[in-house]
Amino acid sequence: MKNRSKFRIIVASAIAFFIMAAAVPMQASAATPYEGYTINKLGYDVHSINGYVYKGSIDGYGLESGPFNAPEDIFVAEDNSIYIVDTGNSRIVHYTPDLKLVKIVGDAEGDGKLNEPKGVFVTNEGVLYVADTKNQRIAIFDAQGKFVQGFGKPDNPLLGATFSYSPSKVLVDKRNYMFVASDGNTQGLIQIDPNGQFRGFFGANHIGFSWSRLINKFILTDEQKARQKVVKPFEFSNAVQDEEGFIYTTTLGTEFNQLKRLSPVGVDTLNIGNRRYGGRFDAGPYSVPSFLDIAVDNDGVITALDLQSSKVYQYDKLGNFLFVFGGVGSQNGLFVTVSSMDQSADGTIYVVDKGRHRVDMFRATPFADLVHEASRLYVDGRYSEAEGIWNEVLQLNSNYDLAYLAIGKSLYKAENYKEAMAYFKLANSRHDYSVSFKEYRKEFIRDNFTVIFVLLIAVIAGLRYLVPYVRRKIAAMLANRSRDKRMKLQEGVYHDHNI
Amino acid sequence: MITTFKLMRQVIVHPIDFYHYIQEQGKITWGQGIFVVLLAYLARMAGLLLTGYAYETQETYEISFLHEFIWIIVPWLTWTVSNWGVSAILEGEGKFKEVFVGSAFAFAPYAVFTVPITVLTNVLALDEQSIYSFLINMTFVWVAWLLLLKVRVIHDFEIVKMIWITVLSIIGILIIWFIGLLLYGLMNQLVHFLIDIFKEVNFRR
Repeated sequence: MKNRSKFRIIVASAIAFFIMAAAVPMQASAATPYEGYTINKLGYDVHSINGYVYKGSIDGYGLESGPFNAPEDIFVAEDNSIYIVDTGNSRIVHYTPDLKLVKIVGDAEGDGKLNEPKGVFVTNEGVLYVADTKNQRIAIFDAQGKFVQGFGKPDNPLLGATFSYSPSKVLVDKRNYMFVASDGNTQGLIQIDPNGQFRGFFGANHIGFSWSRLINKFILTDEQKARQKVVKPFEFSNAVQDEEGFIYTTTLGTEFNQLKRLSPVGVDTLNIGNRRYGGRFDAGPYSVPSFLDIAVDNDGVITALDLQSSKVYQYDKLGNFLFVFGGVGSQNGLFVTVSSMDQSADGTIYVVDKGRHRVDMFRATPFADLVHEASRLYVDGRYSEAEGIWNEVLQLNSNYDLAYLAIGKSLYKAENYKEAMAYFKLANSRHDYSVSFKEYRKEFIRDNFTVIFVLLIAVIAGLRYLVPYVRRKIAAMLANRSRDKRMKLQEGVYHDHNI
Repeated sequence: MITTFKLMRQVIVHPIDFYHYIQEQGKITWGQGIFVVLLAYLARMAGLLLTGYAYETQETYEISFLHEFIWIIVPWLTWTVSNWGVSAILEGEGKFKEVFVGSAFAFAPYAVFTVPITVLTNVLALDEQSIYSFLINMTFVWVAWLLLLKVRVIHDFEIVKMIWITVLSIIGILIIWFIGLLLYGLMNQLVHFLIDIFKEVNFRR
């Protein structure tokens, strides 16, 4: 009787507990709508932990500024305040990091009225340079948002008669020179000095050599040549500058080297040979990515936005692939039509979704923080410090090939060549393996010199004396046998009637 | 088998004597030729397996036994047929058997030296690649030279005619391959056609 009531109480309380548990709203954690991957040394993508996840959106609703209309650019300043180019409303909106409105620029009537601007750059003093696209000018506003001056279409014979000016992105270097990316201009970034004078083109893409063009040049008549498609260099879509004054550009319409780091004289220092950025299969088979925007953080980590796949790709300072996120879709974390991106100092990535009239924010996962830390040390050449962190990365994701390579380099530097070889093998890096192997071979020969030397002498002596001796013996034996046989044949064998 | 190894030794040491020798009656058998080619195939496979990690050009799972076999057997057979055919038209003296076995024996240096050279890749670093590539290219040149020698000695040609016949033989090989692919395509279509008819009839039965 007593036992029974005890049992009832237990059952009743268990049921009550489950009902309660079902009623209490739990924190729902939806899976990220995109799959993270990393690229191994063979060029295949391998599933990996996501480096970035969706954090929130800014769409202007409920904010002082009101909703956005097809925003085209975003700029995150040094103090983490956000400038959004609200192209459809022809204005620049300035927020503090916690989304308090600071100012709205360019919507007042007068000289400073913007007309569908597409790009903005803010100097450390807070001066705004706006690529005022439809007005065909660069408009400058001071830190309070007051219009200062505008620079119209530059005038120079170098630009040619058919030059059409449509400034879409602008950046300003330490000398206050403006670098303007103009839509449809294939000659490079337009350099304009602080007085508004044209100062030449910067870092233009080049047309490579082509056999078919060379042959065409010789065999085609002038008439046929005139009908040929004109070959033009690829167009820059965007440009940003890092702390050291290198300018990073994105190029449209090419499969290789879409991202470049241009030195102050316009030479690409990021790519050696042809390198593919973006995913070849992210937007259908063999797609050619169209990078729209690029951001570089203080450690040189490059983040770039591709229009074709609506994905954001991240690379380390040397151009090694780190992370990918985003995609086409309507869930949070996916995009409708992307137009721009930027990164704040705390690592938040802002992606402008023009099609959905909002800005999406992404935060780095702990895994990404680990990889960033490790890659920062690795890129600086501090291999041994990075080794421990790379080992942690491998514990989370053993498919991360970059980690094997980095650990291998650390072991190599510590003169632990044999283990380094094993890691280079795992990283599929034949060149590093071979370099390591050479050192190992040296070490091996040094350590076992006596044995190797004695063996060598033994082999030479064997070849000189033993082998000829054995051969002579065998030859003699064979000769004896055949002589015996012959003798037997001559003498005849007992009972053999055939002979 | 011992005689085959002795013949291989002779083709490596005294190739001209060897090609004169095999023209005498009853000195060679068909089996010897096939044996040498199989030996070359084995050497190739052993070479693939013994290559040092730094020198590997394909992943282990990418190696196909059949593929490698075809790439030795088919060129050899087509060369034999094409060379014999061209020579027979242009007053060559060689019999088909001599061409068949003679070409097979031209693979002898490859069969013998591939394995030791590939073993070398296990102790060489990548920047010493020139040693490896020199040796392996030497074997290929040797094989090619033996093939040319075979054309000259077996058919008893002058140098100029030998080169001319070789060029024609190569063109012949390409033609054979082209026709082979063509026939393969047509047969494929025919077989599919018949299978489809069968399916159709079966379906409407």
